[in-house]
Formats: sequence, C-alpha cells, structure tokens
Amino acid sequence: MTKRNEIDTLRNLSGDIWNVAVDEYANGYLKRRDLLKYAAFIGLTGFAASHGLGFPGSARAAAGGGTVRVGLGQPTKAIDPVTVTDPASIGVLSQVGEYLILDDPKDGLQPKLALSWEADETAKRWTFKLRPGVKFHDGRTVTAKDVVASFERLVDPNSGSSALSAYKGILSKGGAKIVDDETVAFDLDQSNSNFPFYVSSDVYNAVILPADYAGDFEKNFNGTGPFKLESFRPKQGASFVRNPDYWGDKALPDRVEIKFFDDEQAQVVALQAGQLDVIPSTTRLELAIEGNPNFKLLSVQASSHDAVHLRTDQAPFTDKRVRRALALTLDREAIVKGLLKGRAVAGNDTPFAPIFPSADPSVPQRRQDIAEAKRLLAEAGVPNGFEVTLTTERAYDIPDYAVIIQNFAKKAGIDIKLNVLPQDAYYGSATFGSSPWLDSNLGITDFGHRGTPDIFLNATLKSDGAWNAAHFKNADYDALLAEYGKARDLQAQRVAAGKIQALLLDETPEIISYFSQYSRISSAKVEGVRFTAISHLLLDRVSFVQA
Amino acid sequence: MLTGRALSARLASLLLTLWLVSVLVFLAGQVLPGDVARVMLGPFADAQAVAALNRQLGADQPVLVQYWRWFSAALGGDFGTSLSMRAPVAPFVLASLGRSAALAGIILLFLVPLGVGAGIVAGLNQGRLADRLIVLAGVSFGIVPDFVSGLLLLLVFGLWLNWLPITGAAPDGAGFWTSGYYLILPALPLVLNLAGYLARMTRAGVIEALAADYTRTAILKGLGRRQVIVRHVLPNALTPTVAVLATQSGYMLGGLVVIEALFGIQGLGNLVLNAAKSRDFPMLEAGVLVMATIFVLSSAIGDLAQALLDPRQRRRASL
Repeated sequence: MTKRNEIDTLRNLSGDIWNVAVDEYANGYLKRRDLLKYAAFIGLTGFAASHGLGFPGSARAAAGGGTVRVGLGQPTKAIDPVTVTDPASIGVLSQVGEYLILDDPKDGLQPKLALSWEADETAKRWTFKLRPGVKFHDGRTVTAKDVVASFERLVDPNSGSSALSAYKGILSKGGAKIVDDETVAFDLDQSNSNFPFYVSSDVYNAVILPADYAGDFEKNFNGTGPFKLESFRPKQGASFVRNPDYWGDKALPDRVEIKFFDDEQAQVVALQAGQLDVIPSTTRLELAIEGNPNFKLLSVQASSHDAVHLRTDQAPFTDKRVRRALALTLDREAIVKGLLKGRAVAGNDTPFAPIFPSADPSVPQRRQDIAEAKRLLAEAGVPNGFEVTLTTERAYDIPDYAVIIQNFAKKAGIDIKLNVLPQDAYYGSATFGSSPWLDSNLGITDFGHRGTPDIFLNATLKSDGAWNAAHFKNADYDALLAEYGKARDLQAQRVAAGKIQALLLDETPEIISYFSQYSRISSAKVEGVRFTAISHLLLDRVSFVQA
Repeated sequence: MLTGRALSARLASLLLTLWLVSVLVFLAGQVLPGDVARVMLGPFADAQAVAALNRQLGADQPVLVQYWRWFSAALGGDFGTSLSMRAPVAPFVLASLGRSAALAGIILLFLVPLGVGAGIVAGLNQGRLADRLIVLAGVSFGIVPDFVSGLLLLLVFGLWLNWLPITGAAPDGAGFWTSGYYLILPALPLVLNLAGYLARMTRAGVIEALAADYTRTAILKGLGRRQVIVRHVLPNALTPTVAVLATQSGYMLGGLVVIEALFGIQGLGNLVLNAAKSRDFPMLEAGVLVMATIFVLSSAIGDLAQALLDPRQRRRASL
C-alpha cells in the first residue's frame, strides 16, 4: 500500500481526534510507532493487526515449558494490591494480577481486561468496554461490578490505598459506575484526556480484584493473570504455575519461582551461580556482569528522574535568574554518559520526558553555558556567587549526582554544601513543615516512572501541589496546566505542553537533567522477559534458549 | 548445688531484664523518624490515607497506651498482629527462630569438634609448631569479619567450584538433609570466625590443667598419658570452653544479620532488622524479646554448666 492510500484508509477509521494524529503522521511529525501508540491510546484496538502492523514478538512461536527463577528484593510488607508500593511486591503481583490496560514500554497502552475505551466531548466521562469471559483464579467471571469495586476501593481514604494521591483531583468515591455487566463508566472530577493511563498498569495499585476482596490477598493471590499461585512463603518466596483458564495466550513457562533477597549482592551471585534467571538491576550489579556473555542487561525507556528543586520563595532562589544560572552550569550530556553510563536521555528542566508523545520537541534544549550563568548571577546582584546547602537522600545514584552538581556549580562561583540524609529521614513525614524533602532550600528527590507527565506536573509544580518542594506558585502555570488537561487531541496537548515547557525553562523551579532507563539483568539462556519501568515483571512469554 | 533461692533470684533478674528490654525497644521505636503508615504507604502517599491507616493500626495512640496494649496482651501469650505483614506475629517469629536454630545447629556441628579439637592439640603441644600454627590460624580467621570470609567462601565454593548452593534457603518442600546441605556454606564463615577463639580458650584450659597439682599427682600415681589427659586434664580444661560456647550460641541465634542477608536466610536477625525498618513494633518487640531471652538463657545455662563441672564455681554460685 502506498503511503497516500494508507493515510486515506487510516482517516476512515475514527473521528476527529484520530485524524489530527493521522495528519501529523502524514506530515512526518509523528513516527509510525507513535501513531500505533496513539491508536491504542484512543481505544482504536485491532487497528494495528488489521493493518499488518502487528506488535513485535506477539506472534512468534516459541518452545514452552520450564521454570523461570526470579530474584527480587524483600517485600516491605504483606503483598496487597491496594497498598503495594515496593518493587518486589509489584514484581510478584505481576504474575497474578492484571489491569484494564497495560502500559507497555514498547507498544504503549495495550488492552487487557478492557477491550476498548472512549471519552465524551469534555473528556470528563470515560467509558470502558470489558473483555467478556475473563475468569478470576477462583473460577468466578469478571464483571463490571468487580471493576467498579476495585476503583472505589482505591479512591477510598479509609482503605489504606496507596493510589489515593494518584487519583486526587481526578477520580473520587462514587466516580466509577456500572453501565452494564461488561461496561464501566468513570465520571472524573475534572477533564482529563490522559485518563486511560490512570486505569492502566501505570497506577500499579489498579489491579482488578473481586468485588468482595477483603484485604487478604496473600491467602490465595486471586487475580486474572497468566499464572496462578502454587505456594507462598512470607519473607522467603513464592511460586506460580501456568493458569490453564487464562483468557489470552497461555503462558509458555510451566512455573515461575520467586525468591526474596535482603541483599542485592546475594542476588547477583545467585544469578552467576546459575540459580536464578532474572534479577533487578542497579549500577553496582551491572558492574558485576559487564562484558560477560552469559548475562544480558535489558532496558526500557522511562520517565524516571531525579528532580532538583529550588525553593522559589527562599533566598537565594527567589530570583529566577539565579535559578537559571545554576541550571546552566550542568553539562547534561556528561552526566548522562558518566553517571548513568549512557542509559538515560538528557532532560530539559521539565517533567516532559521525550518518551511522552505530548512533549513538544521544538522547545530548545538547555545546555551548559558558564558565561551566561555568570552573567545572570551578576545581573541578579551576586557576581561572586553564593553559598547554599543541597539536601538529599542516600539512595540510588543520587549522592554521586549531588557531588557532580556541586562541582559544576563551582564553575560559576556557587558554593554548594552537601547534606545527604538516610532516605526515610529525607522524606520525613512527607508534609510541609516536617520534611527535609519539602522544606529544604535546594534538594534532590527521586521520582519513578509514570506513563504520563500529569502527576509530576500536578503534584510537584502546581501552586497547591502536595509535593511542591520548590514552593512554586505561578498562576500562569496553573492555567496552562488546566489547558493541558482539557486538550483532547495530540496536537492541542503538544501546544499546551510547549507553553508549559517554555514557562518552566524560564522560571526553572526544578532542574531535571536526565530521564533514566529502567533495567533488569537476565541470564542469556532466557528470552522474552518483559517488564515495565515501574517494576512489573511479565514472564508469560519467556522461553529457554537451547544451548 | 545451686540453691532454690539462687535459682529464683536468677529467674527474677531474667524477667526484669526482659521487661527492661521490652521498654527500651518500645522507646527506641518512638525515637526513630517517620510513622508506621508513612513507612508502609511510601513518601508519595496521600496524607489522608496515612492518617487513616495510622488510625486503623492504632499507631495514632499515645506511646504508653500502645505499650500497655501490647504488654498486657503479651502477658496473656498474644504477641499481637504484625503491622506490616497484617498477620499474627508469633508464627513469623517461630519460623525465623527455627531457621536461625538450624543454622546455629550446623555451625555447632562443625565448630565444636574443630575448635575444641584444635585447642586440645595446641595445648598438649604447647610451644611446638602445631601449637603455633593453630594459634596463628585461629587469630587470623578470628579477625576476618564473617561477611568478608562469607563472600570469599561464596565465591570459591559457590561460584568457581560450584560445590555448594549459594543461598541458605532450601527450595520449597526440601527435607531435613537437603535443608542442612544448603546451610553448610552460610555456616562456614562463622565456624572459621569462632573456631580460633574457642581453640584458644580450650588451649589455655588444657595448659592450666596440665600444670595443675592434680595432674602431677595423677602422673605420679603412674597413670598412662592417655588416661591422665582423658580423666584429669580434659574435664577440667573444658569448663571455660562450655561457658564460651553457651554465650556464642546466643549470638548465633540472632546476631547473624549480615550472614543471613548474604545467604538469604530469613532468620531472627533478619526478622528484627526488617521489622525495625518497617516500624513494625509488635514484630520488633517479639523478635527482640526472643533474642534477649535466648541471650539471657544461654548465659545462665553457661553458668549452670560451668557450676556443675567445676566444684569451686559450684560453691560460689550457691552463696
């Protein structure tokens, strides 16, 4: 099919929103892969298959059988989808629990328990068609009642739900409604054109559970996933077997065996000894397997970043020229290459990671410019620089990042003292007034991957944001954010995004100098390990390479 | 023999110690930054949800109320519900105690023959090459921290030679022997670390006993060397060794946090560490109390054993 014909065919598929994306594709603004992602996003499922654009790997035949052995950290508490937050528990949960939609790092939103979805004109009411005939492991069929109960539980402040802050201002109790047995509607608190992401795996708590779920998940791990529980030993590990009644392609491996480790060193040694097939990845562990052909480092793009907040209401950062000056001292390419071993992309001081289709790529990238930094400092009345304390957490690569910032800042005469705290001390009570994170003058905070920038934009930068460590209060920004939330098509989103990006570059309440990838380490003997950047571990397509 | 009065005094001091430990742990828990629900829900959780969970868990009550609730229930044998695991504490503590005990058992199995044997050989050969080698080796292994030797042993026997499994946790449903086999590698660093000390204690006892009047008398009586050693030297020489072993057993049942972490064994040490990290007070309290009980009991047993073996001590203990 010629491109012209293809585009005409594409146009006939859906309404106006879709045609904007098709136009962008026709004009070369949108890559084919992003068009596919977008199709899934607006609920145009089956589109890819009908156009021979099948998602890679989905149809490959592979030999089944075997046990996949996985190392994970120690879950910090009882595994319960409603309260879960730690990577190990999410890894366990991925074997049995499923979402309405999976946010696949490669292919974007993939329909799982929802078949299709659409919004009304205002993007305030979203309707989801459920996949018929899906069964929980205990044999009961999934209906709209279960789906509504699952979301009502997540937005109930008394349920101990960890998803409450994700849904704040978006979905409240009573917002999810049964339309019929196989249809669910959500009435949102305000328009949100990115809502499908909020019912996807991005909100990792949004696993669909039976309506009568009583908080005792560890008893039977009753979900809808491709594997079902064989045995669970708290603090030790769990094993799962293929679910013969799974609605989709049956899992290839017979079993999954998960072992919990308190120590990451022990994980990599067990991998090296051939006792594990898949483990999480950290910079330290990567060093241990570097150059060894028996192991693979698998990575997916992510929007994870370490945000440097500058308190806009406290000297010396009340002057935006001073904030910009500090941002200008950083050599982002050097940080990406050095600190993150190239497994990251440079950031531009906004949460709009390049992987978000709505990010406006035409906004110029901020680069290191010491002369300009010095000029700005002089203009702001501090030509000889100043002294400031950078407070942060002892976690991941952050202490090293802090030292790098310290060294770069020196070039413009800014003298940074470091105050590195244990992680829980840094977060404190996570409320203003009793949290070094939210109260410090200058600080670095780690943010995990999200499928859309919304939660970063709302919580960390909006005037009344719960995580607004920069104390950034800007009416223009708040207005632009509302505009962005209402934008229904990609083009409108990108226009609003461009304005937000430009405003944040000018104001610089935060420095975001990179978006890092998310990685896992596997043995070279296994193929088909998939995962998301928020710790889901999908093992149903894993097969063993014959030596 | 020990009098009833001495025994009950000992028991009373044991209970007092445990009570003080429980108070201290509770107070320490209050000094730690952060609250339970915040730790459980993570820094990005909504304040409303954190408050709701704290209410549910009773963590919003005054410390004294929390302590009294816990203490009164514990007196009745109920150690409460783990805040993080949302399940009764006792089975967790028992299971991890079992795993620690298995590890300690394997350690003792290697440690006693090795340490005591080497000590006897060294003591009987005082000043000769064998003695000097044993003392030197003992001191050398003794100063290598267990996590260093643990890593080395793990690399050599687990990775290069591939002789032993590198995790201490046997697979689901493993039997007695298999479980023991999995514990050999985790046990070795402790055996090496402690054997030297045990050997030196034994050696000193042997040398002292060899020089004692009763040994001279026995030799003058015309007993053979073997009989002198077995009947007169060893029983006297091993008395301090027994006390050392008892103290070390206490340590093995809870102090092996690093080894447990390194080899993925969910023993008491790990249980207490994780409970502290997640501010899980009922679990922390129960874990620490069990550890304290073992420490106090094992040192009491050590004293008792020493008293039974040594008439001089016996007289002192019954005062």
